[in-house]
Amino acid sequence: MEMVASLFNSDNYTAVKKMMDVTALRHSAIASNLANVSTPGYKRVDMSRSFEDELRASIKSRDADEISAAEPRTEADTLTPSTRADGNNVQIDSELLGLTKNTMNFSVLTDFASGSLKQLRHAIVGRPV
Amino acid sequence: MNVISASSITGSALDAEKMRVDIVSQNIANANTTKGIDGKPYQRRIVAFESMLDAAAGSNMQGVRVSEIKRDETAGEIINNPEHPHADDDGNVTMPNVNIPFEMVDMVTATRSYEANLAVVRNARQLATQALSIGR
Repeated sequence: MEMVASLFNSDNYTAVKKMMDVTALRHSAIASNLANVSTPGYKRVDMSRSFEDELRASIKSRDADEISAAEPRTEADTLTPSTRADGNNVQIDSELLGLTKNTMNFSVLTDFASGSLKQLRHAIVGRPV
Repeated sequence: MNVISASSITGSALDAEKMRVDIVSQNIANANTTKGIDGKPYQRRIVAFESMLDAAAGSNMQGVRVSEIKRDETAGEIINNPEHPHADDDGNVTMPNVNIPFEMVDMVTATRSYEANLAVVRNARQLATQALSIGR
């Protein structure tokens, strides 16, 4: 049991789970931004800066409980200036770039999670699977 | 739980952008309509978008909808063409205020926005497929 618990409660595995939640939320934020690319006055939504700092600090601490305590949240980005007369600050190309980056990140994370599970299966059946 | 995250937001955007293209096509189709159903020259329609909060997708997440389809009240060009069936006593005809290049630009913008939202759908599907294959 020791080994199973250490696989699923390790700081790395917890961080990967948390990062997957972040990726899903960021995907929703980008979807919202691209949906509102023509809405006058809309301000783009992004991951909250304070959350990113919190997550970075918790991962650095290597404490699984602290990592899982960080709650992903979003905030309106009012810092990016608007280049348009209607006050909307969504840039379609940078959002699409963020979308692709986010999807790539997710595939790295699923690979890592699969790796952990494969290790466990390897230990159960006693040969590589 | 939503397997394809943010699908409601993207769906609302696809609907709205489609409506915008529909209105552009209506404007272009009526670029020479000097007598609309109200008896007056056709006035171009303008689509106004507004965002709406989508609580299902999370806080701060906003979908989009068409809030209003307005008429552009700008006066149309008046041309002198006495042979025209809709000419007034002086031989002047008021043309619709549709500006074809303007409509074309609007159409391209709407098409690009539509494509961007389709990219979101593609990526969402990829995320879901990858999440479902964890452990394989």
